[in-house]
Amino acid sequence: MKKDKKNSFNTPEGYFENFNERLMGRIEKEVHSESIIPKSDGFSIPENYFDEITPKIMSKTTGEGGKVIQLKSYRTFYYGAAAVAAVFVLVFGLNWKSTTTVAFDDLANAEIDAYFESNELDINTYELAELISLDNVELNDVLEQDLDAENILEYLDETVDDIDELNLDYSDYE
Amino acid sequence: MIAEEALVKELKQKESRAKAFEVLVNTYKERLYWHIRRIVLDHDDTDDVLQNTFIKVYKNIDGFKGESKLYSWLYRIATNESLTFLKQKSKKADISDEELKNRMVENLQSDVYFEGDEIQLKLQKALATLPDKQKLVFTMKYFQEMKYEDISEVLETSVGALKASYHLAVKKIESYLKED
Repeated sequence: MKKDKKNSFNTPEGYFENFNERLMGRIEKEVHSESIIPKSDGFSIPENYFDEITPKIMSKTTGEGGKVIQLKSYRTFYYGAAAVAAVFVLVFGLNWKSTTTVAFDDLANAEIDAYFESNELDINTYELAELISLDNVELNDVLEQDLDAENILEYLDETVDDIDELNLDYSDYE
Repeated sequence: MIAEEALVKELKQKESRAKAFEVLVNTYKERLYWHIRRIVLDHDDTDDVLQNTFIKVYKNIDGFKGESKLYSWLYRIATNESLTFLKQKSKKADISDEELKNRMVENLQSDVYFEGDEIQLKLQKALATLPDKQKLVFTMKYFQEMKYEDISEVLETSVGALKASYHLAVKKIESYLKED
């Protein structure tokens, strides 16, 4: 028995030590016994779903879809199959090489957009700046220095095939 | 848990990995299914997310340090996969997260794998109004009957905060269900 100094009431030993636990237990009990929240949430699953899901997951991860295949007895066939496959690759590879090369440009813009839409890349401005190569252009050259006419003409001369098409007035620069 | 430690050890060894992984899948598939289902609601979506979860677990098993329990690591991956799935879904449909949640509940009415009555449908509507974390705490405690200590490991939140969150969720749901 524990005595309070200010009054003569007593509490059982350890009463306050486990008070919180007992209170929480009681609240929980009351919540569950009097709650109007349904005990089940009404979801169901297709028949045999849990039996069928394991082989599906196994085939996508370990490559074992349930049945164990003996690799050893088929070894000789694999060499033959590999040889035939190699011939096919060689023949088709040589014939189709010039026509079936898929390049980045072949991707439809919609597909590229869809990729960026569905994948959160989270690239910030600095990361983006790192991705863009500025090897041939010094940013300060563009921002701080005025380009003089001679340099512009020189640049156009080097990069434009037919400079006459630009209809420049040469008299200004002669 | 010794059995869990042994399983993790087998999962990390190449020779025993496949067999140990099958044990892991069989042990946790049902629990993780229901955990995911209560987040994404639709069975087919749950099936996708469950498979993705196990694929992720398989790919990252070497990175599992054993600092937390195996099951809480699995639950964390399943939770993240489910929430990411919903985020991508709302992004694809170009709608807000709230709008997606409302649509998901509406779709339950025509879902062949939802056998709930009016009160269970109303419960889902009430759950859709809760913040993600509060909803998670409620479903993990109320339907999955997980211990607060276990939920605490999965959600990385203190037991005290979880208890407060749970009781707040119960109050909100009850008052929603009492509304006409």
